[in-house]
Amino acid sequence: MAHALLQMHDITKSFPGVLALDKVALSVRAGEIHGLVGENGAGKSTIIKVLAGVYKADGGSVAMDGETLGDVNPRTIHAAGVRFIHQELHLVQHFTVTESVFMGQELSGPTGLRRREMTRRAEAFFREALGTELQGSTLIRDLGIAERKLVQIARALIDGAAKLVVFDEPTAPLSSGETKKLFAAIKRLKERGIAMIYVSHYLAEITDICDRVTVLRNGRNVAVFDDILPDSADAMITAMVGRELDALFPSSNHAAAAQMLQVTGLAHEAFSDVSFEVRAGEIVGIAGLIGSGREELVDTLYGLRKPSAGSVVFDGAPRTFKAPRDAVAAGMVLVPRDRRHDGLVLDMTVSDNVNLASLDDISTALIERRKAGAEKAAGVTAQLDIRPPNPAAVARNLSGGNQQKVVLGRWLTRGAKLFILDEPTVGVDVGAKVEIYTLVEQLAADGAAVIVSSSDPAELVGLCDRVLVMLRGEIVAEVQADMLGIDHLVALTTGGQAA
Amino acid sequence: MTAAASPLRRVLDALPITVFVLLFIYLSVNSNSFLSLPTLELILKQAVPTVLVSLGLATVIIAGGDDVVSGGIDLSIPATAIICAAIVADQLTNREATLIWGLVLAFGAAGVIGVVNAGLVVWVRMTPLLATLATSVAVVGVTKVITESRRIGVTDPTIVFIRDGQIAGIAAGVVLTAIVALAFWHLVHRTRWGMNLQATGGSRDAAQISGIATNRFVVQSFLLAAFTGWIACTFVLARGSGSSPGSEENLLLEMVLATFLGAAFSPRRVVTVWGAVLGAVLVSALSVGFISIGVNVFWTGCIKGALILLVVASAAAGRAQ
Repeated sequence: MAHALLQMHDITKSFPGVLALDKVALSVRAGEIHGLVGENGAGKSTIIKVLAGVYKADGGSVAMDGETLGDVNPRTIHAAGVRFIHQELHLVQHFTVTESVFMGQELSGPTGLRRREMTRRAEAFFREALGTELQGSTLIRDLGIAERKLVQIARALIDGAAKLVVFDEPTAPLSSGETKKLFAAIKRLKERGIAMIYVSHYLAEITDICDRVTVLRNGRNVAVFDDILPDSADAMITAMVGRELDALFPSSNHAAAAQMLQVTGLAHEAFSDVSFEVRAGEIVGIAGLIGSGREELVDTLYGLRKPSAGSVVFDGAPRTFKAPRDAVAAGMVLVPRDRRHDGLVLDMTVSDNVNLASLDDISTALIERRKAGAEKAAGVTAQLDIRPPNPAAVARNLSGGNQQKVVLGRWLTRGAKLFILDEPTVGVDVGAKVEIYTLVEQLAADGAAVIVSSSDPAELVGLCDRVLVMLRGEIVAEVQADMLGIDHLVALTTGGQAA
Repeated sequence: MTAAASPLRRVLDALPITVFVLLFIYLSVNSNSFLSLPTLELILKQAVPTVLVSLGLATVIIAGGDDVVSGGIDLSIPATAIICAAIVADQLTNREATLIWGLVLAFGAAGVIGVVNAGLVVWVRMTPLLATLATSVAVVGVTKVITESRRIGVTDPTIVFIRDGQIAGIAAGVVLTAIVALAFWHLVHRTRWGMNLQATGGSRDAAQISGIATNRFVVQSFLLAAFTGWIACTFVLARGSGSSPGSEENLLLEMVLATFLGAAFSPRRVVTVWGAVLGAVLVSALSVGFISIGVNVFWTGCIKGALILLVVASAAAGRAQ
């Protein structure tokens, strides 16, 4: 058995009010690809940041090659031969491949930069270490995403001192063809004896390339898998999820009525051939990881992005929304995923935020009737139990859950026919979650159609009637929620199980 | 897999150059003397101060990124050149000091302006556009106090040599400026320091992750910009045979136009040192050309303003594509 290259022991890290890591261990052997998996919030990013020296652990030890590192900071970790391939590419668009690879570590002689030597070394590295031909003089903006990823990898490894490389979600923006290219490069690095930590939500990839896998859940170790087989994904999901559906959800069984939305063959850069329908009184969920095209689909429906093909029939008529105002005018509204930036004007009052989309109703001849607006806002505040129950409160000072209710309240005043809720409960406490779920349930019961796009599988299973699963830009499954367990949904979104 | 540029982007990229080529054809046809050696020499001599301040602006843009609003820009370089010229002229003519002493004082003033700009941008975190606009206005005010808003003539032999002298048969000012430009080109495009400067402006995040101390490069770019203002002051004095308050306006216009026009000539469509030099020469050619066919000087300003809009707008639209 190979010796342990990296040993992290009893790593504990807490943030105000949250214990993010509770005595977590991570051990990587020389020359292996070690998978790190877990749901959102399981502690994967936190332990990687502790290893990178970005976060200082409250307790525990980190050892490389059997030597305990006294102070873990970005410098000592770099000196120990650990390199990080971040999820974001962080490249300069107008730089050449050579310039990007040697950024911050340029070779220089008495007469200035040694450009030829840098190009020679970069091209040789691509050929020998990553198994691909890449011209040093090509501009980054002329490369595909997979090739940019390879440039990022080359930058981390060109100095030849890397012993352990950490990949954070490297395939999230890649298509499956591009993923194969990346994997070929990763396997070549393994042949050169470089150990890797591979963080990913895509379990099919984990079982494909990893030798061992550590599973985290709620900041704790729950399992280490030593022999990875294609069907290990099921066991990993069970370890990752390890919970039953919370009793947060109101009973949901709706008599779906007339068709409200019919999407046929919709396509965009990030997704293709998406078709589905939503009926009045129905709650339809969209599941998918980052990079699955879920966010782009929501934006496209709402007129924020331009589709490249396909048609949308909404409320009985074919529609092309050029901008959100067209969608709103037709009765389709969006509660955006980033409520602080896109959902609210944070420095305005609750009242002003609520009335923002229906100013016509409370104005006469272009003059706003403040009193009417305040009354309307007071009604919404009471109806949704927004706390504090004061329409004059500034939105910035409200809790996440109450801010979300304000955004919802804005659309309630317009009487929309289709509500699209994008990540409706991110950063919302449990109490407010229940209230938002009840409200969504009420919307459907009153005859509105609802689409919930979410990264929380429990939310989709618990709240929706039907769930569409997106994977790498395609709808790979459409399942009735009462037939769907959380494990099953996770398996579908992570590619751990065929539809 | 390669991502090809869209046709619209290609049109936008080619637009500024096309307009310039058409303008030059128009000037050549309508003026008998435009395409001649004496005119060429005049163009180069006239271009000297613009070339120098454009080197400074190019450095700041390369370090700060080429977004016109949030990226790097330094509008105070022309004002720096003019206040330095005023200080030198005041010392030489009104106080009978030596040229060296005048230049030393001016260097100190330029240094203060550079530090103030860098401080406002890096530590106070103002946008460079606003910060340097404010410094520029303040510096122009101080210049008026020094000169009492009057022209100060200078007859120092060194300044006269820069104006009239020749080195190897070429105008002295042009030769000296070419040396400074070469030094800048080497520094920005042929050294590690320059690559790190470019990385800082290209993507602040990427540079930081690669271990580059980005703030240091931004600070140094503003100091270098002030330095180019200081160098330009002797050439401003030579061109005008003294200090003339108010000439910073035209210099500002030409500097911005030259630097962004330079980007249109670069294969990567980014601001470069040699692009800025070429841009400055072309802008000078345009000014000389307009005079040679008798275009009203006020119209020249209007046309230059429109060209700035064209160059900057097509770059912005091209990026959005």
